[in-house]
Amino acid sequence: MRTTCPYCGVGCQVEPRLKEGRIVEVRGAEIPPNHGALCVKGRFGLDFPFSGKRLLYPMVRERKGAPLRRATWEEALDFAARRLLEVLGRRGPEALAVFPSAKTTNEEVYLAQKLARALLGTNHVDHCSRLCHSSSTAALSRSLGGASMTNPLEDIWKTDLFLVVGSNTTETHPVIGAMIKKRVRQGAQMIVVDPRYTGMAEASTLWLRVRPGTDLFLLNAMARFILEEGLWDRAYVEARTEGFAEWRASLEAYTLEEAERITGVERGKIALAARLYATTERAGTYWAMGLTQHTKGTATVQALVNLALLTGKVGKEGAGLNPLRGQNNVQGAGDMGALPDVLPGYWKVADQEVRRRFEALWATPLNPDPGLRMTEVFERIPEVEAIYLIGEDPVTSEPYQDHLKAQLEALPFLIVQDILENETTPFAHVVLPAASFLEKDGTFTNTDRRVQRVRKILDPPGEARPDWWITRELGKRLAQALGRPWTLHPGPEAIWEEIRQAVPEMVGGITYRRLEGEGVRWPCPQEDHPGEAVLFRERFNTPSGKARFIPVHFTPPAETPSEEYPLVLSTGRVLYHWHGGTLSRNSRLQEAYPELKVEVNPKDAGRLGIHDGEIIQVVSRRGRIRARAWVTDRTPEGVVYAPFHFAEAPANRLTLDALDPTSRIPEYKVAAVRLEKLD
Amino acid sequence: MRLRVNGKEVEAHPGTLLLEVAEVPTLCHHPHTETRGLCRLCLVEADGRLVPACATEAREGMELRTETEGLRTLRKTLLEWLALTTDLAQAPDLLALMERYGAEPERWGEVPGRRGREVLKDNPFYLRDYAKCVNCRRCVDACGDGIMGVYALTLEGRGLLAHPTTPLDRPLPETPCVFCGNCIQVCPTGALRPLSMEV
Repeated sequence: MRTTCPYCGVGCQVEPRLKEGRIVEVRGAEIPPNHGALCVKGRFGLDFPFSGKRLLYPMVRERKGAPLRRATWEEALDFAARRLLEVLGRRGPEALAVFPSAKTTNEEVYLAQKLARALLGTNHVDHCSRLCHSSSTAALSRSLGGASMTNPLEDIWKTDLFLVVGSNTTETHPVIGAMIKKRVRQGAQMIVVDPRYTGMAEASTLWLRVRPGTDLFLLNAMARFILEEGLWDRAYVEARTEGFAEWRASLEAYTLEEAERITGVERGKIALAARLYATTERAGTYWAMGLTQHTKGTATVQALVNLALLTGKVGKEGAGLNPLRGQNNVQGAGDMGALPDVLPGYWKVADQEVRRRFEALWATPLNPDPGLRMTEVFERIPEVEAIYLIGEDPVTSEPYQDHLKAQLEALPFLIVQDILENETTPFAHVVLPAASFLEKDGTFTNTDRRVQRVRKILDPPGEARPDWWITRELGKRLAQALGRPWTLHPGPEAIWEEIRQAVPEMVGGITYRRLEGEGVRWPCPQEDHPGEAVLFRERFNTPSGKARFIPVHFTPPAETPSEEYPLVLSTGRVLYHWHGGTLSRNSRLQEAYPELKVEVNPKDAGRLGIHDGEIIQVVSRRGRIRARAWVTDRTPEGVVYAPFHFAEAPANRLTLDALDPTSRIPEYKVAAVRLEKLD
Repeated sequence: MRLRVNGKEVEAHPGTLLLEVAEVPTLCHHPHTETRGLCRLCLVEADGRLVPACATEAREGMELRTETEGLRTLRKTLLEWLALTTDLAQAPDLLALMERYGAEPERWGEVPGRRGREVLKDNPFYLRDYAKCVNCRRCVDACGDGIMGVYALTLEGRGLLAHPTTPLDRPLPETPCVFCGNCIQVCPTGALRPLSMEV
């Protein structure tokens, strides 16, 4: 039976073959988006639902300090509802937060944000894209009026030049990485901007090894050079954009000379990259966390957007602005309204007209004030008294781990709903065991807006239940006590039918029946609509229909190297693992990559007397971890790279919680550290 | 354009491969890999000449024959040679073809082959059981130009000694292999298969 891979945003269609309750083989389905191809995670890492760490029964902690004890579903749900209502009655909706998950289905996210907004009256709703692409969402929304890939993945085959910035694509979106590399073998060119020598850099035509956190300067310098050389698309800029003059004036300081000094990339290479990008008609931009996870993440993505507008690259086949979304359903989680300022379909909660529409659908008044973002909610503890956490492990994924743990320690009430025990479970007051992707129905939306089916292949183990069922049952109790309406949907398809009513302009034409074959891309307003491939062909989704140039300026990272902490730490992922490691480290993948390895440049290693394979300590102002040194010139001199998957050696004990002012994303990519030998 | 397949008129677009207009058995051909015309199982008679259907484009007015006595004998022999030198126990499609063409490998007697090769198990994900390999090279192409661009698999040797392996016969973890398993997916004989299938 076919279903959708639960790892990354590519949304590969997989066909797991089960025998006697285990997966014996996984094949890639011969349909889009993967056309039979898979990566190691989809092929060999789908066995985590069989892990011994599965949460099998509901559990409650009666009072602080008491152990979690097994409970019935009735007991656990009653207990959770009672405590939420108690906080609501005493402190009001602002003291409650609900975090749906980009790993659960659209139906489940929709229900969770509806529970928050329609029953608890809070807009403190957010999910893990706060930590990955919130910068992209912010920049794309304000410039184009939409925050998704503008072009479909099929456009890779029509692209003549790839501009890949801050994306380790072959390891984080391997199937897309392979597609891009194949297109390059067919003759397309590729410019890669990355401090690290990734698989993409290896396959590139031109690799710009920028110093970490200086991409913005480089992109602004490229724009200035393109203007100077007259290589920009005057007709496009005049017809389709606004704010050009003001933006143009802002580029004065971004000369090639200055760019070389700041970024460390020689000016000739920057000029060549600018020339190639500007003069190639079908040039597509792809980016990921390397750009977004900075205190100037939004500004850096904006610089990329400005560059694309200047050269007329948006709204055309084989080109566009394409953020590679991380989690399997991060696109869907945003679409379904798991964000503090928008309802499903990205409709602003602050807009009265919009609220009227959802108030009519949900038959209840809605809170007009945008809520807090996830990183802010954790800062507001214990002002925020209760958090309903679905499928997230903030202890591993949030920055500055020791601080976050202290905050969770001080949180009066935490519901953890998840499939596997993780680092956050010990902080829970109620644990609700959820069903994995193999054990439920629903839909995920992949990185290029393709809505695809998730199909139940197995029964959940123990007393685990699908997230939609748990949220529905919790909602039923809250609704009864509050005297508010709450629909008891019989299953995911019924929830999807409500979503089609809620956001008809987005998914009104997508039925479960249509999804029997391949997925359908939104926007898809009617059932006879094929789904839109390239966005913004005619007009942008802004009030004027034009895209906006917005000036952005370079600022150094929040923490720069010092004598005591002379190296820059950058965090990220490796091919074999996924985020907090909860899934991948409970699968066969663990055998291939069992422990943390920190990349150290040979020159730094030589200076410090560190040998390849030696156990060392990585120390920042906030903490220290032990790791095995991997001496390699993949990472540049002065930079160490640590994946964040390993709970026993958490890279996020080292990172700082400096946030981007617009998106509130943490600066995961630059922290000052030193390396210490163990004696 | 029009051509005749076994006497019947057929319409085709320029660039269409012969195997898209005629039903012929294939082995090395796979839509996602670049392999072309290696195994000769799909040979057909086009205007009197023998050509591989997987690597020959249709032409206006072409006269195509796919099941002549000569072709049947050729396929039968090719399949017999495969079965002589390799273990086809996990290649259901080939076994069905042997049945269809009445292959009797035993009529050739004992022939040295790769049947005796030991299974290679050098990583946590999949094994390489080259005793079952028919040299179709799909795995080499899936790993290289066809899909991944990784080139962890390669072909060593020539003629009868040709066989897929890793560069310099290194264990897979010492190659650029990323364990995507796309080689397993395109392998038609079970020579590459996930460890999870082993009981």
